[in-house]
Amino acid sequence: MAAAHSHEWRAVCEKFTNAQTLTDVESRNDPENDPFRSKYKARELLREIYCSLKSFEAGEGEEESGGQPTERPLDGQREDGLARLSGDSPAGLRAAKLGAVEYYLGVNHVDTEELSAGQEHLTNCMKLLDRCGVSSQNVSLFIHVRNQLGILWAGREEMETAQGYLETAESIYKDYMKEDGSPPTDMTEYFTTEENLLTHQERTKRFELAYTHTMYYLAQVYKNLEQTERAATYCQSTLQRQLQLNQFSPMEWALNAATLSQYYITKGRYMEGRHCLSAATVVSGLAGEVPSEAAARESETESERREQLRQKRAEIARCWIKYCRNLLQDARKLLEDNIGELDTDRQEELKRERRRDEEEEEKGRKGAVLFGSEDTFDSIASVEEKVLCLYPLDFTEARAVFLVGQNYVTQAKEYYLMDGYVTDHIEILQDHSALFRALAFFEEDLERRCKMHKRRVDMLEPICNDLNSQYYLLIRRQLMFELAETYSEMMDLKLSVANRQAETESLDNHTIKKFNHLCSASVKYFQMFLDSLCSPDGKFPEHLEEDVLRPALVARFRVARLQNRLISSIPSVQLENLNKSLENYKYVVEYCESHAAAAPVVETELELSKEMVGLLPLKINRIKAKMAANN
Amino acid sequence: TQLAASGESDSIKVFVRVRPLTQGSGLTTDGDHNLCLTVTSPNTIRLLAKPEPRTFTYDHVADMDTSQDSVFSSVAKNIVESCMNGYNGTIFAYGQTGSGKTFTMLGPSELDNFTDELRGVIPRSFEYLFFLINREVEKPSQSKSFLCKCSFIEIYNEQIYDLLDTASASLFLRENIKKGVFVEGAVEKFVNSAAEAYQVLSMGWRNRRVASTSMNRESSRSHAVFTMTLESKESINDIVNIRTSQLNLVDLAGSERQKDTHTEGSRLKEASSINRSLMCLGQVIMALVDVSNGKNRHICYRDSKLTFLLRDSLGGNAKTYIIANVHPGSKCFGETLSTLQFAQRAKLIKNKAIINEDTQGNVK
Repeated sequence: MAAAHSHEWRAVCEKFTNAQTLTDVESRNDPENDPFRSKYKARELLREIYCSLKSFEAGEGEEESGGQPTERPLDGQREDGLARLSGDSPAGLRAAKLGAVEYYLGVNHVDTEELSAGQEHLTNCMKLLDRCGVSSQNVSLFIHVRNQLGILWAGREEMETAQGYLETAESIYKDYMKEDGSPPTDMTEYFTTEENLLTHQERTKRFELAYTHTMYYLAQVYKNLEQTERAATYCQSTLQRQLQLNQFSPMEWALNAATLSQYYITKGRYMEGRHCLSAATVVSGLAGEVPSEAAARESETESERREQLRQKRAEIARCWIKYCRNLLQDARKLLEDNIGELDTDRQEELKRERRRDEEEEEKGRKGAVLFGSEDTFDSIASVEEKVLCLYPLDFTEARAVFLVGQNYVTQAKEYYLMDGYVTDHIEILQDHSALFRALAFFEEDLERRCKMHKRRVDMLEPICNDLNSQYYLLIRRQLMFELAETYSEMMDLKLSVANRQAETESLDNHTIKKFNHLCSASVKYFQMFLDSLCSPDGKFPEHLEEDVLRPALVARFRVARLQNRLISSIPSVQLENLNKSLENYKYVVEYCESHAAAAPVVETELELSKEMVGLLPLKINRIKAKMAANN
Repeated sequence: TQLAASGESDSIKVFVRVRPLTQGSGLTTDGDHNLCLTVTSPNTIRLLAKPEPRTFTYDHVADMDTSQDSVFSSVAKNIVESCMNGYNGTIFAYGQTGSGKTFTMLGPSELDNFTDELRGVIPRSFEYLFFLINREVEKPSQSKSFLCKCSFIEIYNEQIYDLLDTASASLFLRENIKKGVFVEGAVEKFVNSAAEAYQVLSMGWRNRRVASTSMNRESSRSHAVFTMTLESKESINDIVNIRTSQLNLVDLAGSERQKDTHTEGSRLKEASSINRSLMCLGQVIMALVDVSNGKNRHICYRDSKLTFLLRDSLGGNAKTYIIANVHPGSKCFGETLSTLQFAQRAKLIKNKAIINEDTQGNVK
């Protein structure tokens, strides 16, 4: 182009550089009462550029505007019969330049909250481009303008329109990469003097980044359209592209990947979950060593870095804990029979199934490769190998998962100390307890199983008693409920062990004592939970709020059952226990009678309570009669 | 589009107050006498939206003629009484700049004029609290003593600043098994009367002004949290009973600024300004991870400082009131709608006690 070397052209390039600086740099320092000052200045420059371009065009005449007819139409618009320009022709290039100015004007107007004007400029850019075929000269602009229109329309809550633009950008990218693939011109280069053109590497980088943004916007659009599966896929592509193109900060990337793993595990997709976590672990390692405590004391930046790295690695550890916890719990759900014990038939069946699937699994995995760059791929694979992603089917397998989880518990607790991070620390302990609980299911030796539950009690009980009940009411309630259930579980185990050994109905005194102790401990924690619902003056609420309705009624019901089970040979004690039991059963029945919403929430418990309210008085009367006879 | 008013038991209540049009507030809408809303009953408000008007229902809606005293009686009286009984209480003020937040909370100006009929919720709460304390202390049989201390912090850009010690650097939130969540190193001033409490408040308020100009913080983009900790000590037969409670008074950032943060639902987060960093991707993924299927998951992104600090005030055993201030002018329609929507969403905020209950294997 003749104008390219002229004095005027240099002036245009200079104006463009100024406009860019005003937009990107100076606008950040604009005063509060004139927030768009620099952007308005930039807008003026862009307008001048536009006029100059137009006048060049007029000067050079229209001799080339015919151009060559080219490719298919975009965005579903029908062919209007006009011949299209090749993107590389001088006329095509001129259209691209004008389009680029329209693009920058559009973005400028959107930034200054003049959306309709912005839309008009962006649409003008699209019109100019639509006269041309996609080429390495203009493909970048094709994608950028659609990214911007996607953002614009999503802001107006017109998600489908946004989706249309972004999906078109996606297919333009794909087609270009398939058909051409050479590093395309960046839009800024339209207004650069020849000596300042970009390197191929820089061109590729910018182009790929624009497309990464397309992926990222699509992820958001799909999220807003509630297409979660698709949104997750696009989040994953965004991450994978960042990794491959080396456009990421390691800790940030790792946290995003770890968060994505939580999406997969809530969907029960452990292979993908494990992959995300392994990648998170490897990439977080790229952020470097945690500065030592001594180094942190020396400098503030080191201290901040230490804090950041430790905290984020602890977060990733916590995501791993959830992985192990859910995997074990899901395996348990698969394997348990209707009374919550290991179903050995089912176990055999699942083992056979797994052997059958193993070969196909191998193929499936190769197809589902998610993350990795040349440098990280092997490291990620080796982290993956350390833990199962299939459901553990026996104690050995369960234990292996448990140990990995427990290891991450230790890691996470190193950062989330009780002193300073009470809530986080306790949540980690609750996960640890859940890991033990799930592992205990796989343990066949009942004594050892009981010991596992004892470990849960040992880690939760002191905290439950120390916690300030006012500030940690909700956590304490969870702990009380869990402790009550753990004691109850231990009680059942003790009884089974004793019954197996004695083979008779009579239990020895030691066992009875132990049994009653566990039973009372369970009652104690259920009762503590119920007391936590009382008002400051100690009154139990007449109306239970929705979020505590079921737990409160279940606790009452369980207390009733436990009191009924306490063993005593003294009739007056027996009587006392049974009366307490009856009282609690009655409470459940009466509450459900007076609150219609309650009955469906505790169906099974209500049915049994009704039955017991009928039966217990008979038993009570029998004891009373016996006592009267003995007196 | 009408949401039912919720029952008495809710821990979060919402009070909407409509400011009058007349006085000059610096808002560009002064002189515009077209109203965009009407108060249709003591708990409903009708917004003249197109194509058809929308009715919103809250615990209480106060029209333009409502007195400061009646706002105090419906919002704060009960919360102050609960504080005396050991409950934590929080009052949030929310609304567009110029919608009457400061007037509602403090009064017509920030003078220490304590007797002004137009004084706001805060001075009235102080008076009432110390009235209750004195009444308690003066009871002849009483063995109760009280200790009252105040702190005042500001949260700007997720950083915490101490308004009672402007020289200090930004502070951190910590948790302690006994003390709960607290701001480490925040200055606490002991106060013995309503006047002293008010003095602490006005000092902090002035500092907020100073900081906003000298350090380039905008007060309309920061949250200010004034916390009064009340400790009561009672000895009955050698047993000492100590009870503490907190009264939090929160001035939220102007609602018109909310569009800058992630509260605005479907707007896409742009990458152009963040360039390489796609931090917000995590936010997108977070929204995909749901807990409805009973799975346990960890989210790597922490709560905002404000919600973490006031976690206990958003459910559980605390009493919370949100005062949503709106401007009735039709030019404020957009902001008013978003304030009303926020206030409605706020009612849904609740810290649920999820009990990991396991009935399987127990009901045999």
